Amino acid sequence: MENEKAARNKKIKHAVMIIFLALLFVAFIFPFIMVIINVFKVKADITANPLALIGKHGFTLENFPNAVNKMKFFHSFGNSLIITICATIGTIFLSAMTAYLIVRNDWKANKILFVLMIASMVIPFQVLMVPLVSLYGGIFGVLNSRITLILMHIGFSLSMATFMFHGSIHTNVPISLEEAATIDGCNKWQIFCQIVFPILKPTIATVAIIDAMAFWNDYLLPSLVLGRKELYTIPIATKVFYGTYSTDTGLIMAALLLAMLPILLLYLFLQRYIVEGITAGAVK
Amino acid sequence: MKKKLLSLLMVAAMSASMVACGSGDAGSSSDSAASTGVSITILNSKTEIQTQFEEMAEEYEESTGVHVEVYNADTDTTVASQVATKYASNDPYTITMVDAKDIYSLADDYAYDLSNEDWASHTTLGITVGDKLAGFPFCVEARGILYNADAIKNITGKDFDPASVKTLDDFTKLLDELVAGGMEAPVGILSEYWSLGAHWFPMVYEEQADPDAFVNGLLAGTEDLAGNEKYNELMDTFETLVKYNYAKGSASNADREETSMMLAEGQIAFMFGGNWDWSVINQYDYTENLGMMPVPQNTTDGTNEKLVGGGSKYIFVDSSEATSDDQRQAALDFLNWLVSDAEGNAFLTEKCALVPAFDNIDASALDPLSLSVKSYADNDKLVPNYNYLPDDHMTVVGQEIMQKYLDEAIDRAEVAKEVTDYFKTATPIAH
Amino acid sequence: MKTNTFSYKFKQYLLFAGISTVIFACVVIIPFIYGLYLTFTSWDGVSRSKPFVGIDNYVNAFADAGYWTSLGRTFIYSAIAVVLVNAVAFIIAYMVTSGIKGQNFFRAGFFVPNLIGGIVLGYVWKFVFNKALVELASNLSTGHAKSLLATENGAIAALIIVSVWQYAGYMMLIYVAGFMSVSEDVIEAAKIDGCTGTQSIIHISIPLMTASFVQCLFLTITRCFMVYDVNLSLTNGDPYGSSALAAMHVYNQAFINKNYGIGQAEALILFVICAVIGGLQVYVGKKGEVQA
Repeated sequence: MENEKAARNKKIKHAVMIIFLALLFVAFIFPFIMVIINVFKVKADITANPLALIGKHGFTLENFPNAVNKMKFFHSFGNSLIITICATIGTIFLSAMTAYLIVRNDWKANKILFVLMIASMVIPFQVLMVPLVSLYGGIFGVLNSRITLILMHIGFSLSMATFMFHGSIHTNVPISLEEAATIDGCNKWQIFCQIVFPILKPTIATVAIIDAMAFWNDYLLPSLVLGRKELYTIPIATKVFYGTYSTDTGLIMAALLLAMLPILLLYLFLQRYIVEGITAGAVK
Repeated sequence: MKKKLLSLLMVAAMSASMVACGSGDAGSSSDSAASTGVSITILNSKTEIQTQFEEMAEEYEESTGVHVEVYNADTDTTVASQVATKYASNDPYTITMVDAKDIYSLADDYAYDLSNEDWASHTTLGITVGDKLAGFPFCVEARGILYNADAIKNITGKDFDPASVKTLDDFTKLLDELVAGGMEAPVGILSEYWSLGAHWFPMVYEEQADPDAFVNGLLAGTEDLAGNEKYNELMDTFETLVKYNYAKGSASNADREETSMMLAEGQIAFMFGGNWDWSVINQYDYTENLGMMPVPQNTTDGTNEKLVGGGSKYIFVDSSEATSDDQRQAALDFLNWLVSDAEGNAFLTEKCALVPAFDNIDASALDPLSLSVKSYADNDKLVPNYNYLPDDHMTVVGQEIMQKYLDEAIDRAEVAKEVTDYFKTATPIAH
Repeated sequence: MKTNTFSYKFKQYLLFAGISTVIFACVVIIPFIYGLYLTFTSWDGVSRSKPFVGIDNYVNAFADAGYWTSLGRTFIYSAIAVVLVNAVAFIIAYMVTSGIKGQNFFRAGFFVPNLIGGIVLGYVWKFVFNKALVELASNLSTGHAKSLLATENGAIAALIIVSVWQYAGYMMLIYVAGFMSVSEDVIEAAKIDGCTGTQSIIHISIPLMTASFVQCLFLTITRCFMVYDVNLSLTNGDPYGSSALAAMHVYNQAFINKNYGIGQAEALILFVICAVIGGLQVYVGKKGEVQA
């Protein structure tokens, strides 16, 4: 009896939650629906009534090929892909290693580095913008290079990623496991690669999706570093649709949808790892 | 297996950073495309003609062999800051298009002297700083009231003659007639701070007998704005526009696209703006008879028969060592081509529908608004722009003061007081 | 092997954090120091001369009433937004990890809006506030309803709503990872001991998730304090400059008003404030963290 009641309560509770989530979900997805509705309309109809499913100029697919041509989609897609992949992988490895060092060693240098990193997360980008281009463009002349951009991306995202890994190594990686490995003759590097890093999978997935999204969508930094058209990433290329006195809304919507697909796929793929919650297994 | 993969990735990440440290100028060779000829870059800050610019660049390369890359100005920020970061990174554009006031701050350090160019004798609108001709005037633009004559005729039954509404009294009469005829609110006012602070309010200075003396008076705190005749004439007109504004009630939130669409389609009859608004209007189903007229005022000084404007968007050629002599020559050739070559002329007047700033260029095939501007310009009926307002005038006066006035949150005396106070702390522009 | 010699420490440091330190220093620290130097000059952002003016810019920054107003506004905005973002994110995260049907769908769904970035986000929301909601409100009441964006408090409220919308899905991710890391066994054990669902959240999940809270709070606080892009695309300071938050004021000061030095000085003051608040919050959070 007790069990049945509990099961029924659980069912009711779940139903309430599903309804609540569904309502919230509609609110969350609304602007997104607006994009999808308007991507099939010409600009005049979008201004006239953005809520209408079909404007008086009718349904159009034109926005997609136009956007693809105007922003040289495949070329900028390639640039974005290389930069995002390299910067994300670099950030994950470097920050996980740094965080591991900081968590497990109570050294002064580590403390200083960690405090500096945390502090750097609250530097408004505008403060660094002009000095950055003055130094690396004006003095060293290394702008207009994908590698420079990748390194800068890594530099700017290291702090936050280190911060996140720091938290999860601290709480989720049992020190007893490492001690056991040390007795088995592993050195620190082996411990990190074989024991710590695999345990961090959920955090890795989280950092990967957050950073990949940030790199993929970033506009300001790439626009400062990549001044040549052949290096343009998708967000910079999309900029041709914005004007001070005219903005091509239909094309922007199309470009937006095209640009977000890869990140959506990445998220759906990585979600599995976030879900798995591997930590539990390691503790046992 | 996993371990191998991991260390492989590590090595890759590390070597990537090593390589990067040593690859100083790997990608920065600005003349990488210069194997066949010269390559120049242009910053286009007239973003609405970006497409035309890019098409022109391709044709230009075919006929001259000079590779031209046209970059679109960033709309998130100001052109000045974009140019600034480009100079900070020592990677300037060969040809940069900026606003008049930017020329003054850039000319000393970075602008090449253009006074020996052939086209210099064909225009009076170029900007001279010190003793060098620094700014090439890209086009002529003017401000005034845009009207939709078809919408007016639909209600009044008569052809609309802009000359019949020179005074505010006549204008109000027409507005009342339109309202009585069923057009509930015949006016649109853009609420953007640049429209209020850089287009509308500066007319108060520009239409003074001596604008420079007036602004200096304001800066010195000796000028009485509230009692100024021109200020009151223009504010009378502004209050009338506000009264008939279709967005009355939430005027500071009027959407630019929507307002332009309403004018284009004749849902409203008047809107304060300039000939650049054509690029927005032509995106909609516009009616045939659109035009531009002076801002109606109850005045006797003749300014209600003139548009306000002149040279707009200035081009300077980079004089720094980042640009080679060949590139500079190619840039000068390009400017010459715009003025002296039939193709160049056609690009300006036909493809971009701009009113040319040079007297040798024929422009008969313009859009309706530009045609209006051209006819006023040809008849010497333009009140010149005043280009020396403090840098923050546009945001402070446009957003913090005029938007409130537009929303009827403050009255005319308060506007005068706030503007006067603003000028007391403003930084004057040296000129 | 000795683990407390300098050479051991040095080698370990180089191995694990060497590259990070170099990149971090080059990209963040050095430009920051150069930026600090620029605050002592009256550079206009363009010209070649950078005249040294001492602390003039700081004096001007402290005297800039508009800056302090925008900062006060930023405090109010951040306080409300941080609480709402985290509350919403935590509730969603709890629900989508409680084993309900379609939880994977919801997890993806709440995250997807995040993918609309930058300016478009502002455009879309501007439309929602100015058209869709106004239309709805006008139908419900008599007379023409005013857009939220047209009033001074409304514009800030709109910024808060959009921030919640934008960050809740993102923070949900971190909370979900936190929930997943709380071992099932512990929860089961608690249930056997007679804990109700709510009790087990309060007494077990939340303490075990301190790291997630510290991270989310830190991220939301700092992001809210430095918000710029949504501010620009949604309100751009309208109406009357009343919705310009600190970062926007700083940006305009530096690049529109061309007072680069003052803008940079104001940005540094903003940085110090953020650093103090963020640091304090992390310090307090770490104190209460449960060790694994």
